[in-house]
Amino acid sequence: MKGTYLGELEELVLLHVGILYPEAYGVAVMDEIEKQAGRSLNISAVHSVLTRLENKGYLKSKMCNPTEERGGRRKRIFLLTAAGKRVLEDANELRNQLYSQIPKVALQYNHLVVGG
Amino acid sequence: MQTVNKQQRTTNRPPKWADRFLQWYCRPDLLEEIQGDAYELFYRTASTNQTKARLQFSWNVIRFFKWSNIKQTKNNYSSTNGAMFKSYLIAGFRNAIRHRLNSSINILGLSLALGIAITSFIIIDNQFHADFFHENMNRIYQVTSIIEVDKRTEEWSDSPIMLGPSTFQNQDAIETFTRIEFGYANIRHRDDVFNEQLWFVDPAFFDMFSFPITTGNGLVLSQKNQLVLEKEIAKKYFGETDPIGQSLSLKFREHDKQEFFVSAVFERPTGSTLYPTIILPIANFRDLEPEKADDWAYLVDGTFIMLRSGHSVNELTAQMKMHIATQNTASPQWLINEFRFRPLKGLGLVSNEIVSSVSEGSQREGLISLGVIATFLLILASLNYMNVSIATVATRLKEIGIRKVIGGQKREIIHQFLTENFLMCALAMLVGCLLAYLFFLPGFNSLFPSNILFGFSSGNIMFLFFAGLLLFIGLLSGAYPAFYIASFQPIQILQGREKFGQRNLFSRVLLTLQFIFAFMTIVGSFVFIDNSIYLKNKDWGYKHDNLIAVRVEEKDKFLALRDRLTTNQNIIKMAGTDGHIGKSNSRITFLYNEQRIETVDFQVGYNYLETMNLRFKEGRSFDQTIQSDEVESVIINETFAKTLGWSNPIGQAFELDSVKRYVIGVVEDFHYEGFYHVLGPVLFRIANEDDYNFLAIQVRAGHVYETQELVKSTWASIAPDDTYEGFIQDEVFADFNRNTDANVQLLIFISTITVLLASLGLFGLVSFNTTRRMKEYSIRKVMGANAMQIFQLMNRDYVFILTTAFVIGAPAGFLLVNPLIHLAYPDPKAAGPLPFMIAVFLMVLAVAITVLSQLIRIARENPSDVLKID
Repeated sequence: MKGTYLGELEELVLLHVGILYPEAYGVAVMDEIEKQAGRSLNISAVHSVLTRLENKGYLKSKMCNPTEERGGRRKRIFLLTAAGKRVLEDANELRNQLYSQIPKVALQYNHLVVGG
Repeated sequence: MQTVNKQQRTTNRPPKWADRFLQWYCRPDLLEEIQGDAYELFYRTASTNQTKARLQFSWNVIRFFKWSNIKQTKNNYSSTNGAMFKSYLIAGFRNAIRHRLNSSINILGLSLALGIAITSFIIIDNQFHADFFHENMNRIYQVTSIIEVDKRTEEWSDSPIMLGPSTFQNQDAIETFTRIEFGYANIRHRDDVFNEQLWFVDPAFFDMFSFPITTGNGLVLSQKNQLVLEKEIAKKYFGETDPIGQSLSLKFREHDKQEFFVSAVFERPTGSTLYPTIILPIANFRDLEPEKADDWAYLVDGTFIMLRSGHSVNELTAQMKMHIATQNTASPQWLINEFRFRPLKGLGLVSNEIVSSVSEGSQREGLISLGVIATFLLILASLNYMNVSIATVATRLKEIGIRKVIGGQKREIIHQFLTENFLMCALAMLVGCLLAYLFFLPGFNSLFPSNILFGFSSGNIMFLFFAGLLLFIGLLSGAYPAFYIASFQPIQILQGREKFGQRNLFSRVLLTLQFIFAFMTIVGSFVFIDNSIYLKNKDWGYKHDNLIAVRVEEKDKFLALRDRLTTNQNIIKMAGTDGHIGKSNSRITFLYNEQRIETVDFQVGYNYLETMNLRFKEGRSFDQTIQSDEVESVIINETFAKTLGWSNPIGQAFELDSVKRYVIGVVEDFHYEGFYHVLGPVLFRIANEDDYNFLAIQVRAGHVYETQELVKSTWASIAPDDTYEGFIQDEVFADFNRNTDANVQLLIFISTITVLLASLGLFGLVSFNTTRRMKEYSIRKVMGANAMQIFQLMNRDYVFILTTAFVIGAPAGFLLVNPLIHLAYPDPKAAGPLPFMIAVFLMVLAVAITVLSQLIRIARENPSDVLKID
């Protein structure tokens, strides 16, 4: 979040790439996000984000060894870079920091006054 | 990740079109993973629901169609543009220099056609924008009269003198008006007397028309004794001194001299179709001819109105009808059907439709034909150029092969040739401009009485024209060769296996087309020329080579001249006359059997018909001793008798001008007005001696010129203040002849250019063909062939082309020109075989020269030199 402007979806995808290590590729990320966050994304959207993150330097990719599945086509596997790891940490830290600053009373909903 | 059943995979494939679409657009480096993911998803879904899987696949393919995934086809193009351009220039330049002769011939042909096209465009542009310099052009209209004669309607510029003022008074759609009436006066300048044309106009003339006033002040036509001069006329009479305030003596016919003061000098821009030289207030006309000034029956030469803004001519229709009634009552012999409003804009273009039009512009049809011809020539030249380009490629095959092998793409080769071509075309256009400026436009200006400047009506038009022209020529002449050349296979070229030659059908068809066109124009031109020569020598209907006529309007001078000349031995006969054949005649209409007939009305003196050598068919001529001849007798021409259906014209009677007339004689038809018009009915009747305007003189054969000099000097002694207005009868059709001559010269010019272009095309092709087949010819020579045999070989190709072209082109040319001739002249001569023979002769000559030049080349070339190269 802070300074790096990591988008919400980008953060999500980045986290899942970390989760799916070492087999993080397009379809897998898409499925995992559906499973974990309940969001169904189109495969091309996921591809876009992955490419964008790679261009920003938060991910690196390589082609895996060819296998018989997928008609012999290789997969592009994504891995977190050091920068990617750091930006995730920063974002997480900032969120926690901000959250801890919220006074307890703001989180108690029965005290909300309408038109106050 | 789900494993996929191998069996499923072979029977169940994703939709083919989507797959192919993906493969087509996707970037190669991304294709594998994208396609892989799509396939994985497909198989996964397909195990439960096939249709859904297919839909999903297609949808995904569409969703993947993003800019970042699409093949960047132009990736490597832009980087080559700048650097390659220089290479193209150098290569093209070297190539042109290497084949200097052919390049220059090529460019020459194109330049000629371009020069003509540019000239034509300037002329057309100029004429279509004639009179545009008048600020109020859109509000100005000329009022013309529609008259019915002999069951035809004619539109006349002449309109009633009272029309302008009456229309203006009774309504408010018209802001102002002016009449234009021509007049003539003699002006003395030092020792010379000039007869000048005058324009009598209303004071609003300079408010309506925007002729720039260069010097002068205030209201230019406010006083009756003021006049306004055109710049050149002012120079003629006053030289460099300021003419303002100076006086000029004008002597009108049958009046004394009057003095006028110059109040202003105006300029007449070149785009004007109105040609005033000296302008006077129309109030003077009232003084000179008081009985005509208020007469509805008198017609002035033109009436122009200027509408107030926001009004239209439709508002005037009702009023016009009223005026028609007034006019027709005042002058029942000259019935006007309606008045018509002709806008000033474009008046020049229709001026040929209006009889005695004050505006003198070019015929619209003529301009269009000019444009068509120019376009034809352009297309011809471009096709020529294209043909030769293709042929010259034979010498550049190796270069193309190498370029392709080191990585040049087809597109780049195309660009190279197009660039070269555009450069050549631009060069040709430059030369064409020079040609147009130095030769073609001045030539046109001298042939036809015009003074068109080398310029365009606006900068926009000029830019559009040149850009459009360059594009047109460049593409037409360069597109096909560029694409054709770029498609060669480099391997084949470098191995020497590329079969390239002039044997291709396209080139031959092009050449045939060119020759067809050449034949057409030659035949057409010669038919026209033939006809013109025939007209020049045509019988006028009377012997005209020994006649002189002098314009004398004043009776005392007439009598003096006649008396002085009677003693001359060279003069056989003389007669006075009001109207003179070929110079002036009036028309009149009369009623016969409920039909209105228009006839030419010559009012002549006794002896006139004999003096003019007119041929009598039957009856007798006027006799001074017979009393009735003076008023009742008329002599008619054959057409008159025919029109009225008289088989025995002598003694027939009809009423003219409220007097009963009797026919006493019939003359053979003769030409009284150039050859453009069908001969109509003509009658002669005796004129009052006071009305004589001409003295006709018949001279002894061979003494015409010296007698003319004598008459001139006699006149000078009788009337030193008046110009000598005499002429030889032969000259009356001078204008007509000059016009025909001009047309003939133009046609000859065009034919020459066409033949030249076709020959250039032929030359280019033959020469390159020879180069290509040099090896073959050399071997033949070594084997023992002599020049004649090789000649026959070369000819075989072309004889066929030429014969076909002649068979198609010559008749086509004849068929096209014939209707045109009939349109222009009502009585043309049928074309003989002469034009065709000339056409054949010319073409054979051109071809012979071309082929022979190549033959000489072959004969001279040492075979061993040629064969050594390989």
